Amino acid sequence: MAKKKLTPVAKAPKVKLSPRDEKTAERLTGLADRVVTAANNRKDPFVDIPSRTLANVKYSPKKKILEMGNATNRRQLFDLSQAKAYMRTMLVTSGCKKLIDQGKSTSLRGLFYMLKHTIEGVKENTFDEQGECDTIIEDVEVLLSSIREELHLYAENRGAMVGGIVLTDKGDEINCARMGSGGYAIPSIVEPDVIIFDKKRCTAKFILHVEKGTVWQRFNEDRFWEKHNCILTHGAGQPPRGVRRMLHRLHNELELPLYCVLDNDPWGYYIYSVIKQGSINLAFESQRMAIPEAKYLGLRSIDFERCQLSDSVKISLNDTDRKRAKQVAQYPWFEKKPKWQTEIRKMLSNDFKLEVESLISKDISYVTEEYVPARLRDQDWLD
Amino acid sequence: MATRKPIKKRSVPATATKKKAAPPAVAKRQAAGKKLAKSAEAEADEVLDVTGDEAAEVDDAADEAPAGGKSSGRRATAQSMASKQRDISVSEFFAKNRHLLGFDNPRKALLTTIKEAVDNSLDACEEAGILPEIWVHIEQTSTDRYKIGVQDNGPGIVKKQIPLIFGKLLYGSKFHRLRQSRGQQGIGISAAGMYGVQTTGKPVKIISRISPKKPAHYYEIQIDTKRNEPKILNGGGEGVDIAYGEKGAKDIEKHGIEWVDQPHGTRVTIELEAKYNRGRGSVDEYLHQTAIANPHITLHYTDPEGSTREYQRAADKLPPEPKEILPHPYGIELGRLAAMLAEAEGMSITQFLSTKFSRVSPAVAKKICTTAKVSPRAMTRKLGRPEAEALYHAIQATKIAPPATDCICPIGEELLLKGLYQVVPGEFYCAATRPPSVYRGNPFQIEVALAFGGAAATQNVDKELLSDLLEETDARTIRQFLISTFNGLGSDAADRIMKAAALGTRQTAKQLKPKEQERLLQAMQNVNVAEGQTMEVMRYANRVPLQFQQAACAITQTITSTNWRSYGLSQSRGGMPKGPVYIMVHIASVWVPFTSESKEAIASYPEIQKEIRLGLQAVGRKLGMYVRKRQRVKQQGDRRDIFMRYLKEVATAVHELNGVDRDNLYGQLVTVAKRVTADADMKLDDRGRKIKEEAAETDYGDNVIIVDPMTHAAAIKRGPAAVAVADE
Ligand SMILES: Nc1ncnc2c1ncn2[C@@H]1O[C@H](COP(=O)(O)OP(=O)(O)O)[C@@H](O)[C@H]1O
Ligand SMILES: [Mg+2]
Repeated sequence: MAKKKLTPVAKAPKVKLSPRDEKTAERLTGLADRVVTAANNRKDPFVDIPSRTLANVKYSPKKKILEMGNATNRRQLFDLSQAKAYMRTMLVTSGCKKLIDQGKSTSLRGLFYMLKHTIEGVKENTFDEQGECDTIIEDVEVLLSSIREELHLYAENRGAMVGGIVLTDKGDEINCARMGSGGYAIPSIVEPDVIIFDKKRCTAKFILHVEKGTVWQRFNEDRFWEKHNCILTHGAGQPPRGVRRMLHRLHNELELPLYCVLDNDPWGYYIYSVIKQGSINLAFESQRMAIPEAKYLGLRSIDFERCQLSDSVKISLNDTDRKRAKQVAQYPWFEKKPKWQTEIRKMLSNDFKLEVESLISKDISYVTEEYVPARLRDQDWLD
Repeated sequence: MATRKPIKKRSVPATATKKKAAPPAVAKRQAAGKKLAKSAEAEADEVLDVTGDEAAEVDDAADEAPAGGKSSGRRATAQSMASKQRDISVSEFFAKNRHLLGFDNPRKALLTTIKEAVDNSLDACEEAGILPEIWVHIEQTSTDRYKIGVQDNGPGIVKKQIPLIFGKLLYGSKFHRLRQSRGQQGIGISAAGMYGVQTTGKPVKIISRISPKKPAHYYEIQIDTKRNEPKILNGGGEGVDIAYGEKGAKDIEKHGIEWVDQPHGTRVTIELEAKYNRGRGSVDEYLHQTAIANPHITLHYTDPEGSTREYQRAADKLPPEPKEILPHPYGIELGRLAAMLAEAEGMSITQFLSTKFSRVSPAVAKKICTTAKVSPRAMTRKLGRPEAEALYHAIQATKIAPPATDCICPIGEELLLKGLYQVVPGEFYCAATRPPSVYRGNPFQIEVALAFGGAAATQNVDKELLSDLLEETDARTIRQFLISTFNGLGSDAADRIMKAAALGTRQTAKQLKPKEQERLLQAMQNVNVAEGQTMEVMRYANRVPLQFQQAACAITQTITSTNWRSYGLSQSRGGMPKGPVYIMVHIASVWVPFTSESKEAIASYPEIQKEIRLGLQAVGRKLGMYVRKRQRVKQQGDRRDIFMRYLKEVATAVHELNGVDRDNLYGQLVTVAKRVTADADMKLDDRGRKIKEEAAETDYGDNVIIVDPMTHAAAIKRGPAAVAVADE
């Protein structure tokens, strides 16, 4: 009985699957096969999901990135507190398989609507809120070590780039030097089967990543990327995966160094930390996302004095800021860096934070014409 | 239905809906000679003048004599005061303090009167070795007057005793002896009679027959409150004889009273100012609870609406006769000891101690005397107060064997269960009778029985009864009505019913429109009141239900200080446990220590509390086993429900992923779910064979009943109706 052969789906796929899709589909089907085997053996089906908690994340000093540990959480069908989550896991699995089979992608919200329905015979929904679906998607990602893009899911587009590079996006040629004032919107899936760089037509020598769209616009309007021969990106705050993956590919495939211009506050430090080492939640993707060589150009705690800013630009720290700053200071990758410790300590003793925009108080183009060029020239950054 | 007349004069309405029985004499009574009735009334009016309508008038009479005191300039002189100082008769005292005896309000007066009469009947029957059959009839005679008749098939009372028993306070057979019995202070029935005379002017009417060969004797009596003496109103102060058979029946009819013809027995009829209610502290409740604790009695109860409820006996054996015992020295109070010494004539102190008390041998008596420094041969009469006190203290200091406890007759676990099962709805019953114990030299014994899981009373009400109840109630709001009418219904549950019925919290009970009544009934039926329901406590002393002063009673106090959480019930600290639980606690003793004359609460002696606690724990443990088992079964059932809910989804998802047969996989998963939640299966089958395996697995010990609540008669229709169904 247990050895009963599993008959694969007879349904002929409408689309020819890429080798990568085939691999993902196989993994998804594997989860289903385990249910059948368990049921044949009168056993309780389960999945072991790698734990996505801080406790299960390790910093690898050698690779200089965050890595996921080996701890897993068992999710069983016949456990009162897990039954529903198990059911949802299987729903997401089958939903992703369907997307792959049909050669389509959808947003996280799209998948949520695909899978949301009322369970037969009871007044209960499979999902009530998108958040419930999103966490299960992350579970499936770590469970199969397939990234979201491989599951044919994309997040909302966020972030933009301009600069001296030409690429192909789903067959369309994009010249990033001719993107007008809006720039090229970085898609959420930037894998090589979607985006291909034209190495020969890349004139940029480095990447300048800024935190926010408003600052990015300043740099774009001043044609900074043209003058300094670089690629200019932003991630609308905490950069989404598409942006991080794009930076990672640009950095590694085109060997472009990355410099970040972020606000001088704990949140800015944190964004830098995520770009450099990876995030706790997505530690399993650090390999493909983290850029340990990324440099922190500014703003610095010393900039208030160094740039002789006026008192009006100071924003006082609040309790959360202070707490957060101390946490950041204790991150293993900052812990042993005296410069970083001084930086954070200085901010705490300042007891205020500075936004990149504060430099505008000096002059509208101070940041593009003086501040960043000076830092680059002096190689004055934090690592 | 809301317009039905509140007053019903006769118990034989033409539109009988329920089972109605007209006691034999009633119908004829209507035809009774008007002349006779008139003269009886005239007599009654005279009575009114003598005794006064209210106790206050006794006051006036007492003040008449010493009028001269005012002559002096001072407010009063020693002389004038001396002339006011006189004996207060017991009857006078109690006429002024009737609340002490349970006549505080018209509602309670009715209950107390019935109770005294019924208790006497049961005691008399049991003492005479007769299986008791009791008739209780309550009739409304005017807006605030009721006539109650209580008859028994007991031994009857000899003619010359009748006036004393019914017309003299503190005259009884039970006060002077130590023996487990219902009545105790001997105040009972004559006080009820006195209350009746005072409030209505109508005398107490007694028929009693002691043998089929002798005529029944009929007395009309009133109590002379000043002298604590009976006054016989009929037969020229002699009462009248009533012959057996046809002729007697005619006689009885003439006197306007009822009599169920019996070879022997007693019927007492009292008319009094009263108010009839159902629910808590009602006559109905008293009779109901009495039936539970006395499974050997048959009771016919005709309520003021004329419907008769029958409680048939569940046991054909009388409880064993309680033995009379001598008092134990430890239990005697100083005053009583002094009185006994004075009464005991021509005895030495040693003789006195060893013959008037239990467990005192001459040797022990000598020891007491030595300790008290009193000569063992001193004559009792010669002893003064100091010696009495010395003896009293010496008794406490001397080691005396505890009294014999075989004088106590508990109901017994089996009968407790029978009684409870027949009357109270539930799915789990258990009982525990503790071994006898002693407090202050008095033997006593505690029994506890418990019923769990019954449907709430609210669910056993039909449309007609609900509208009756609404009409009768004193409660101003619906919420109050629900709480006061339905036993064990907490305010939480009442609120939930109100909400379900979409009724306002302040809506008046009496002004519900028919549609609203309909909604209320629906809600009562649908709301699961077991949540938030509190434990229903039935307290008994010598088989008599205690209905008032719950909070002051040692039983209640012990229940609330017991930790019921460990037995699977929820309970806030020091509060009543919650849940659909009925518990009865019975204390049997030769001398039940009440907190007051009205005999409504047990005094908190540590020995008694300890025994109660042990009894509660014994049934609590069994309950805990059952509740936990039930919870587990339910949890497993819930668990399975949850699994089942998701299995289809999982099977479908898997089918879409790898094309495996959906239904086949679903079937397999269901099998696994069943295995994982195996406990729930026991419940699925428990109407059949599995229940036995279950019982074998959980050992509850003896005297436990487990029933399927759905098929248990008492769960479907509570109260008398349930009993009738169970009997068929
Ligand atoms: N129905 C009755 N049948 C026979 N004897 C009765 C009856 N009612 C009362 N008695 C006798 O009258 C006595 C006095 O009754 P009561 O005044 O109620 O005091 P108690 O019941 O406390 O002794 C009883 O002890 C009993 O001997
Ligand atoms: Mg009595």
